[in-house]
Amino acid sequence: MPFLAAGALVAGADLLDEAGRGRFQWGGTDELLYYPSGLMVRQAALGYETAAADIAWLRGIQYYGEHRQTDMKFDMIGHVMDIVADLDPAFIQPYIFGGFVLAQEMKKPDRGLQLLERGRMANPDNWNLAFEAGFLQYVCRHDFAAASRYFTWASRMPGHPEYVERFAAFASEKAGNRGMATLLWKRVLATGNKYMQEIARRELRGLGEGVQP
Amino acid sequence: MMSRVLAVARNTIREVLRERIVLVLAIFGAALVFASQVLSPLALGEGKKVVTDFGLAGSSLLATLLAVFLGSSLLHKELDRRTIYAVMAKPICRAEFLMGKFLGLWTTTGFLLSGMTLMVLALLTVVHHETPWILLGSLLLTLMELGIVTAFVILFSSFTTPGLTAFFTLGVIVTGSFAEQILYFGGQGESSFVAGLTGAFYWALPHLSTFNVRGMVTHGVAVPPERIAFGVSYALLYMGAVLTIAGAIFERRDFR
Repeated sequence: MPFLAAGALVAGADLLDEAGRGRFQWGGTDELLYYPSGLMVRQAALGYETAAADIAWLRGIQYYGEHRQTDMKFDMIGHVMDIVADLDPAFIQPYIFGGFVLAQEMKKPDRGLQLLERGRMANPDNWNLAFEAGFLQYVCRHDFAAASRYFTWASRMPGHPEYVERFAAFASEKAGNRGMATLLWKRVLATGNKYMQEIARRELRGLGEGVQP
Repeated sequence: MMSRVLAVARNTIREVLRERIVLVLAIFGAALVFASQVLSPLALGEGKKVVTDFGLAGSSLLATLLAVFLGSSLLHKELDRRTIYAVMAKPICRAEFLMGKFLGLWTTTGFLLSGMTLMVLALLTVVHHETPWILLGSLLLTLMELGIVTAFVILFSSFTTPGLTAFFTLGVIVTGSFAEQILYFGGQGESSFVAGLTGAFYWALPHLSTFNVRGMVTHGVAVPPERIAFGVSYALLYMGAVLTIAGAIFERRDFR
């Protein structure tokens, strides 16, 4: 009997909470707006910053998902990813995800690149951030020279996959930097797989370099 | 002397285990598996990081809270039930008794923390097919942090009530996390008295950020042996200092 009564009271409280949410629209992602910056959240985390960053990350993804299905407005995504970066600067994925959403979906490439650049400053050895910044420069801003610089930077970082050098070479060629393009394609010829070497030979011949077929 | 201390420690372990804290392990394990299954798919490829972060944070938080709330009533129960008289009638001094209580509580919460960390390792091995042994570096430093917290629990419980013991210990944990900020902001003002006072606070408070390497191991960076050695040495010295004060206070305490 006491358990039934307790269950009924909890059910009543839950119904009241649901009604309140619908009427007053409390809860949801609004709480993220109340933090002036992630640095304040970092102080409140009391040594559990990385877990707090994960919570903010999960909430940010939910925020993106909710708005993707409704109004396609992601005004707070930059703020959320900044909070994650303040809490855990080595967390790479939020920079990339946030950068892409800001640049591609919100048409704010400068803001997206700012977030990626922040990630690069905190993680200078990470090839992925430089590569993604180059990609945004190429696709969103059509700044092939800047894209070439970022791709080349990424190609010098440890752990980068083979295609990064190809991207660097393509972007250099597109930017009219034949000298850099030649250097990069020669690197691909020396280190790439058979498929990449074929592409490198073709591109070098196109650049006027005499290479054996 | 050690045999007397260990006898009290063994008894303390039995007493703490009677609180069924092993249930905590079971609940933690279930919560970890649940979180992994529910949150990993939502994390956009960062499921392993989320599970590791939540696992390490959860185990540290749970062990700390258990040390605070179980430990705060340890001494008080002995005084309340008057069993302290029976213990003190034996050839054991008060300092040895206190040391035994400390060791017993630290050992129990330490085993709990280790058990929870091993659960995280097991889950990561099963779900993500890799065993990040570097988490053990974080475990060792968190154990040391737990030792400092336990020492403060013993200190405060040597002269005050369980409620105040928990309150003061939690206060030390919070301010210990802010120690560097307290020093920084104290030095920003114009008053040299305030700067001196905050400096004194800084040196008196435990620097708990020393033991926080969870972010490091989550990102796959092993804790350097020098950092572990520094952390362990710092913790042992600090625990010694706190327990010395606790012993001095308890020596003068009137049990009536």
